[in-house]
Amino acid sequence: MDAVKTKKISLIVLFLVIGFIIPQFVTKPYYLHVITMCLLWAYLASSWNLFCGFAGQLSLGHGVFTAVGAYVAVMLFNDYNISPWIGMFAGAGAAVLLSILIGYPTFKLRGAYYALATVAIGSGVVVLIENTQALGPFRVGGAEGLIVKLMGNAPAFFQFMSKQPYYYIALVMLIIVVLFAFWLKNSRLGYYLSALKEDPEAAEALGINVRNAKLVAAAYSAFFTAIGGVYYAMLIRYLEPNAIAGPMMSNEMVFLAVVGGSGTVLGPVVGGITLHAISEVIQFYFGDLAQGLHLFIYGLIVVFMIMFKPQGIIEILQKYYNRFLGITDRGEDEKSVKRTAGS
Amino acid sequence: MSNALLEVNELTINFGGLIAVNQLDMKVNTGEAVGLIGPNGAGKTSAFNLISGVYKPTHGQVFFDGENITGLTPYQVNRKGIGRTFQVVKPFGSMTVLENVMVGGFVHTSKRSKSREIAMQVIEQVDLKRKINSLAKNLTLSDRKRLEVAKALATQPKLLLLDEVLAGLNPTEIEEAVKMIKSINKSGISILMIEHVLQATMAICSHIVVLDYGKKIAEGTPQEVTSNPEVIKAYLGDDYEAVNN
Amino acid sequence: MDSLSVIVNGISMGAIYGLIALGLTLIFGIMKIINFAHGALLMLSMMCSYWTWKYTGINPYLLIIMIAPVMFVIGYSTERFFIKPVLDAQKDVREPIAVLLLTAAFAIVLENLSLMLFGADYVMAKTTVTDATIAFGGVTLSAARFYALIIALVISGGFYLFLQYTELGRKLRSCGQDRNTASLMGIDVPKTFAIAFGIGTALLAVAAITLLPFYYVHPTVGNVFMTKAFIVVVLGGLGSVPGALLGGIIIGLIESIGAQYMTATLTTVIVYAIFLLILFIKPSGLFGSRLEW
Ligand SMILES: Nc1ncnc2c1ncn2[C@@H]1O[C@H](COP(=O)(O)OP(=O)(O)OP(=O)(O)O)[C@@H](O)[C@H]1O
Ligand SMILES: [Mg+2]
Repeated sequence: MDAVKTKKISLIVLFLVIGFIIPQFVTKPYYLHVITMCLLWAYLASSWNLFCGFAGQLSLGHGVFTAVGAYVAVMLFNDYNISPWIGMFAGAGAAVLLSILIGYPTFKLRGAYYALATVAIGSGVVVLIENTQALGPFRVGGAEGLIVKLMGNAPAFFQFMSKQPYYYIALVMLIIVVLFAFWLKNSRLGYYLSALKEDPEAAEALGINVRNAKLVAAAYSAFFTAIGGVYYAMLIRYLEPNAIAGPMMSNEMVFLAVVGGSGTVLGPVVGGITLHAISEVIQFYFGDLAQGLHLFIYGLIVVFMIMFKPQGIIEILQKYYNRFLGITDRGEDEKSVKRTAGS
Repeated sequence: MSNALLEVNELTINFGGLIAVNQLDMKVNTGEAVGLIGPNGAGKTSAFNLISGVYKPTHGQVFFDGENITGLTPYQVNRKGIGRTFQVVKPFGSMTVLENVMVGGFVHTSKRSKSREIAMQVIEQVDLKRKINSLAKNLTLSDRKRLEVAKALATQPKLLLLDEVLAGLNPTEIEEAVKMIKSINKSGISILMIEHVLQATMAICSHIVVLDYGKKIAEGTPQEVTSNPEVIKAYLGDDYEAVNN
Repeated sequence: MDSLSVIVNGISMGAIYGLIALGLTLIFGIMKIINFAHGALLMLSMMCSYWTWKYTGINPYLLIIMIAPVMFVIGYSTERFFIKPVLDAQKDVREPIAVLLLTAAFAIVLENLSLMLFGADYVMAKTTVTDATIAFGGVTLSAARFYALIIALVISGGFYLFLQYTELGRKLRSCGQDRNTASLMGIDVPKTFAIAFGIGTALLAVAAITLLPFYYVHPTVGNVFMTKAFIVVVLGGLGSVPGALLGGIIIGLIESIGAQYMTATLTTVIVYAIFLLILFIKPSGLFGSRLEW
């Protein structure tokens, strides 16, 4: 039993060490940027997963939350000089409010209807942003988008000259969201979400206020997603409505989470990092060959991954993980492991 | 009246012309085990759905513990102290037995350890310890029914509504399940159970209510009910069929 | 434009929306799957039709006979080789979202495939129909839109009759109502699913050809129509065939009448708002049956 624990802890330490020393070895800004984007996508997929994966709701409109977070933080910064470090919480707060506003009517919709509602809300928000030049004293910029005011090297304003700080911030964000997901999965709400994902009626009969459980989980998810949006804005320094709110953003989160293994704690991280890395690699090698080639390959990879591993890559990793820990029987341990890493 | 835990008055539900439950009056006293029987389609499950808040009654009230709980939502009803099982069992398939039961255990605590403790105790009570780490979807029907009871018990109800938990079990399994229900009742939880297996109902319940076409046609002790000619006419014919199946 | 023309224009465009939504609603009604590749398959149909027209010069309307069977085969194979395996693997999952994502990924594949094959240019099949107009009762309508309206009405009506009165139509509907019972009654459910997907895709070929003489084709043209098709099917009731046509016409009318009084953006936002309102108040749609959902 203790040997298992030691192995688990050493594995975690190993990954943390790798995570923190990567910038020592990867010094080319381009490569570090690519790795940073992998972490960001892993973070966004994990944020989506907090509600949608855990509660089995297919939201195809989470770009709304990245957009709200990013726009609120950037508008506060551009027009009132409020540091994005503070603005990001205002943005996340706005996203939480919005998630409740959206969730209240939509959560009574069943699977397909909920998915369609989120598609419509997402598309509607893109149209709205594209046609809003200003909101009171704030410049929104409409379809041309919004450029983040440049401050040079200003850590207090979330702006750095080198890529390294961005990398570390993304890493810390990812660690936080994973810890949060782990906590959530094992909390009362986590059990409630697993239950209502399988059978809302049975969950309700066990005293669970299904709508409230969904609202709270969706609020957590919106909060983390919005912070990811702010990070994205500060990294790219430019907000383009379709890129931050549109279907690309919304669908990508879902692809990554599902390919990794939605509803598990680590699946979206695995999916986010591997799938995004793959997409960067094929873009690097095939991007110039023919227009659309790399996305074509990317789409095919997603298609085949979903076809052959609909439960996600995490399922394969789980097997190796168990073997590493020396767990072979279908006993107590397998399950306790499963709840933490997979399942 | 003073010791009536559950009391329903003139409970009625109308599904577009079909009156599934019609002016039903009945009660369950504290500590008692009451049986609700009747032929297929008599409205038994509908009566459960009315009590547990799944349906809103067209007419009539439900009182629990002296409080009017008519029109509350299912989760509110559960929190008042009524646990229920479903005729078509609803396990959370990809969760383990323990996790399934812990979901119920969480209703009165936010602590994992406490919920686990409650769950372990309940699992012991329904004799599912041997399957504690199995996924619910891999259980046999008999174990699924036990799990169904365990989940409801974990919410620590004062009254347990059991919808055909014996249906589909073989005679040995029925015998075990009867023992289990009796012990639950003995531990102080009142029981209202729907059942087609009449001998088992008579072994557990001191009082039986008979429904036919949504209406109560008889009630009383098992002896009184089984000797009632109207009941024999409406119900027992069907029952022999049910037993033979 | 005078108000009558505005209305007729709206109806004709709406009928095309309805035609596009028809396949979506069919696939949902029978398989309970939202096909996110629907727009991309429309685009593919348009591309195939355009290039066939370009190289052969055959009248676009005659192309239906060629393109529709091709699209049927594409749809049928897509279901057989891609969707079915995932459906089978997710049998005991309550909400099989993997299938929806599969179709969404498939859309990416198709869009980029045609980007590679056909390039990113905006092209249109300019034929004699393109600039012709038809006048009747004081209303002037472009000939292409008029033909589109006629084709959409005929196909929708014919399709409805097909579902109601043919053996295959009955099989399709029974799978939609309860696939387990249908299977017990000896219907080959997987095959019926593949046929449904094939028919849904073939219907897109018809819609594509009605659009061809007056609408630009490019690799992302499907997105515009897919979001509209989503709105249309929810408005009309997911799974309802007459609902798809009526829903389409309502959207077409809102757009063309709206265009007289406000910006296109505002119209779009209003369409989304109406959509959400229907979804919240009556998710079964304006014309869908209550039992359907
Ligand atoms: N939601 C509903 N909508 C319409 N009719 C319903 C609904 N629920 C039940 N009914 C009808 O009400 C009648 C009573 O059904 P109910 O399930 O309560 O019977 P039951 O006594 O539990 O039967 P069984 O012994 O077969 O379980 C049946 O005719 C049934 O078809
Ligand atoms: Mg029943």
